[in-house]
Amino acid sequence: MDGMRFTRRRLLQLTGAAGAVVTVQACGGSLGGGSSPETSVKVGLLVPQAGVYAPLGTDMRRAWDLWLESHDGKLGDYTVETVVADEGETPQTGVPAAQRLLQSDQCDVIVGIVNSATALGVRDIVHEAKKILIVANAGAEDITAKASSPYIWRSSFTNGQVAAGMGRHLAENGPKDGVFVIASDYAAGAEAIAGFTSAFEAGGGTIAGRADPPFGTTQDYQPFLSRIRNSGAKATFCFFAGAEAVSFVKQYRQFGLAPDVPLYGSGFLTEGGVLDAQGEAALGVHTSLHYTSELDSSHNKEFVQSYQDAYDAVPTVYSVQTWDAANVLDRALRGADGLDGDTLSTALGGLGPIDDSPRGTWSFENQTPKQKFYLRKVEKRGDRYVNAVVTETGAIGQPG
Amino acid sequence: MGSWFEANLVSVLNGGAIGCLLFILAIGLSLVFGMMNVLNLAHGAVFLAGAFIGWRIGGESPTWGTFALAVGAATLLGLLAGAVLSAMTEPLRNRSHLDQALLTLGIALVAAELLSMTFGNDVRATNAPPGLDGTVPVLGTDYPVYRLFLIAAGLLLAVTAWLVVSRTAAGAVIRATVADREMVSAIGIDDRKVKLAVFAVGSALAAVAGVLGGPVYGARPGLDSTVLILALVVVVIGGLGSVKGALIGALVIGQIESLGRALFAEAASFILFGALAVVLVLRPQGLFGRADMAGAPR
Repeated sequence: MDGMRFTRRRLLQLTGAAGAVVTVQACGGSLGGGSSPETSVKVGLLVPQAGVYAPLGTDMRRAWDLWLESHDGKLGDYTVETVVADEGETPQTGVPAAQRLLQSDQCDVIVGIVNSATALGVRDIVHEAKKILIVANAGAEDITAKASSPYIWRSSFTNGQVAAGMGRHLAENGPKDGVFVIASDYAAGAEAIAGFTSAFEAGGGTIAGRADPPFGTTQDYQPFLSRIRNSGAKATFCFFAGAEAVSFVKQYRQFGLAPDVPLYGSGFLTEGGVLDAQGEAALGVHTSLHYTSELDSSHNKEFVQSYQDAYDAVPTVYSVQTWDAANVLDRALRGADGLDGDTLSTALGGLGPIDDSPRGTWSFENQTPKQKFYLRKVEKRGDRYVNAVVTETGAIGQPG
Repeated sequence: MGSWFEANLVSVLNGGAIGCLLFILAIGLSLVFGMMNVLNLAHGAVFLAGAFIGWRIGGESPTWGTFALAVGAATLLGLLAGAVLSAMTEPLRNRSHLDQALLTLGIALVAAELLSMTFGNDVRATNAPPGLDGTVPVLGTDYPVYRLFLIAAGLLLAVTAWLVVSRTAAGAVIRATVADREMVSAIGIDDRKVKLAVFAVGSALAAVAGVLGGPVYGARPGLDSTVLILALVVVVIGGLGSVKGALIGALVIGQIESLGRALFAEAASFILFGALAVVLVLRPQGLFGRADMAGAPR
């Protein structure tokens, strides 16, 4: 019995010792491995890799990679480790992906998010984790208004802001008597119409009618096109994106409205891949946006050249928004002495004008860009369609 | 008032065009469901495959040659897809619709993913072939010629399908299979072959509808489920397993999507399913379906 007890105790001791060794080794591993946390920053790039927004995700990821490649893989003095996560189409995929980036991957910063519902859905977890989120597309007003957080910044636009650019332009340059407004019946469309209408009416314009085709289930716009024609409108302002932008612009031409009632819109109508699909039907469509690849500035030309060299593709507004997210993080990290949300938020708040962006100089106002808008017209150059610059507005901030 | 009347007549005409396209899409689904009692949720994926083929072969501006080639290629692919689907659903023949729905939905998801891997996630659009890509003045407003062509194509198919089903020996077998499958096999006709044939032709029509729909709907990820839902609504409203039902159902949906949305713009989102609900309440078997098909699985 004694021997037995001894054996058992001995066994326990051995087990304990072995456990201790494992623990020490584990600690040693974590202490010795990797670089010091002070010199590296972990960024979660949350962009759509599948679903209807996947083409935007590609543009965003390309710009992010291009920034790192041309800046020695660094933001400020920090070496960047990028973790890419799939935002998917809806908050059902986007929010859990953001959660994983913060909890399992322990990211210091999140960049990306195309869908506004996803951006609003991650608001609370980002806010509670006190980590910086730079929204590189989603345009809902609430992200930097009603649902704002000191940790959530935006490098893109707001829906109303883009439309206000066009409203202001039409009120100043016409046609200002009788513009028909039409937008997909969802939050972004409603914000665009509100932004356009208030800027347009403030400048003395009048609205001839309004239609809200159901979002996502409208393939044929003929009933709405008939209403536009019957309203006797002098012009149409619209907000559509993605597949709906293609259908609407093509059918607007097919039903013969394009020559009689010129089409104006928020720039997403003719930006990126949708313009290739619209092709000839888009010729002469006017849109407002905070970027076009055709901008005649040295910063833009340099950016377009390096982007084309790297990917054999023309950058889009989605690329530039992500490029600028990297740009503001780079500037903030240069001045900051920590990676926590409060330090970075203060640093972002003190940035001042961003003067080397491809889109032109812009600055943060209420954590979202105050920027000028370009009035663009679709033209054919060589064998491709481009958004040529017609004129530009002064700086416009988030409306309201 | 005159222009209001004219504008709505254009909507009626347009409803006919959309209805004819929906008919070409939905007739296969209706016959397969009505005759073979197989619920094929992969029907929309076949349509999308056809749409992508049309875009890949014809490009943005197809010629008549590439357009015909695309229709031919889509027909072949549709026949093949129908044969495969028929074979895959064969073991589930006597199981419930839920099992069939799960299987074909799975196939639809895999097919959609394969299409997105092959053709990318971008929105693709294609134009009508030369001669059909312009507009004609109709009732004082411009109307796309191509949509008139769709009406012609749909009506031609309807007449052909009606002649085949009601005037030929093969049609007699098809009608007999709808009425009583067991009796058809009892008199020595292999009803698996009938099913294979109907499945193949129905899927071929769906793929051709994809090519024909290209200039109207384009080709993009997600279009498969959109058209599947439209086709299902057509089948439910029209009733199962009859050419007439599919045609009337498609024309009704075309009018609802076109004239209905023009007249009741505020209710545009729910007018389609509102009509569906009304039909389900008043005539659960569909406008032209037989009452004994409406109830529990046979």
